[in-house]
Amino acid sequence: MDCKAAHVLMPLYFDGELDRATSREFEAHLDACADCRAALIELDALRHTLREDAPRYKAPDALRARIQNKAPASSTRASSRRTSSRWLALAASWVLAFVAGGAMVTTWQRTSTTSVAQTQLTRDLFASHWRALAATSPIDVVSTDQHTVKPWFAGKIAIAPVVHDFAGQGYALIGGRIDYVGSERVPVLVYRFGKHLIDVFVLPQNAATSIDQRTQSQGYVLAMVNLDGQPAAIVTDMGQSELERFKDLLSTAR
Amino acid sequence: MNPAGTQAFVDDLALRHLDAAYNLGRWLLGNEQDAADAVHDAYVRAARASDTYAGGNARAWWLAIVRNCCLARLAVRNKEKRNVAIDKNPQAAEHWMPRTEADDVEDRADSAKRQQLITQHLQNLPENFREVLILREIEELSYREIADVLQTPIGTVMSRLARARAVLQKNLTDNINTQAPYGL
Repeated sequence: MDCKAAHVLMPLYFDGELDRATSREFEAHLDACADCRAALIELDALRHTLREDAPRYKAPDALRARIQNKAPASSTRASSRRTSSRWLALAASWVLAFVAGGAMVTTWQRTSTTSVAQTQLTRDLFASHWRALAATSPIDVVSTDQHTVKPWFAGKIAIAPVVHDFAGQGYALIGGRIDYVGSERVPVLVYRFGKHLIDVFVLPQNAATSIDQRTQSQGYVLAMVNLDGQPAAIVTDMGQSELERFKDLLSTAR
Repeated sequence: MNPAGTQAFVDDLALRHLDAAYNLGRWLLGNEQDAADAVHDAYVRAARASDTYAGGNARAWWLAIVRNCCLARLAVRNKEKRNVAIDKNPQAAEHWMPRTEADDVEDRADSAKRQQLITQHLQNLPENFREVLILREIEELSYREIADVLQTPIGTVMSRLARARAVLQKNLTDNINTQAPYGL
């Protein structure tokens, strides 16, 4: 690779949009070329300047209230006031979100008599599953091969999920995608059992504690499972016994 | 999805990405009131047009609506010729450079000055450069998502982002070279 080619690829590499093989070639060039290294450092410096010194304006409370009040009171929804701020440490932002979400749920529970409380996170997981069902394709990487799905996540996301295929047991791995849970990008493994779609959200360690072991919403079930030390949430509409069997498979697979 | 479902979906989406929407609006429009109004317009429009959401990245869909509402406001404002340049705003300067008698007064002035400087340079960039930088560097959207928001091919996103970075980098360097160091 020469400098001209490297120059073209540099932003893609910097923005994490370059595939692995080409990234390696680019890095090989980088090792040998001080000019390109300097240019990459400049890109990084500019990003730091922007992130640190360009204010990320937070939506005023009045605007949030305006939208929240317009939103019709629905019995299955807890209105959420999440303080998501990228300036805070990851852990702190999670804690804040849960505290705020939990507080809102509590207040709202007291005023409402008919509804079922759901934490913000649980709702996120269900909503994400439903969105995936509504979308033309619930998966970003289509593969029945665990050796394709796992590397696909690498480099895109901090959590490297454990990926196993259980096609032999009826739960076929069909792919994966990246989705948002709260303000977090998490890997989602997608399985199919008969006509049922199964999403397995691999969650950050600190996220899992706020979710009930099992929650139901509109015919869908959310169940927590431990994926080789990593907490994960299964969201699906399949039956009780099939779900239990799937949970066993996931938690015992090594 | 049924009407109640789509309404819930839009509410959820708008509230979840409200800061991102407002930040984009604030940078495009340059003041709080217009940004808040544009985001609210976008929410109303999204609720009405939720059936046009054809799957895919919901955040990009929402931010695309926000952006369209901002551009619509900009067009009206430019027509009426009563736009105020934010970089001439003394209140903003006061806000970022608060006077203080504390010992670390110089540190504070430095960081406030840096913030003012970068804000000014961003505001001076052409709109299409500014928005692509905000979406990529501050909101951390992928190229695909940015392309969806801007409704342009991904190639345009790449070239625009590269140009925007180069221009901003050059302007900042020029500024540092021509200005006296802080503290004088």
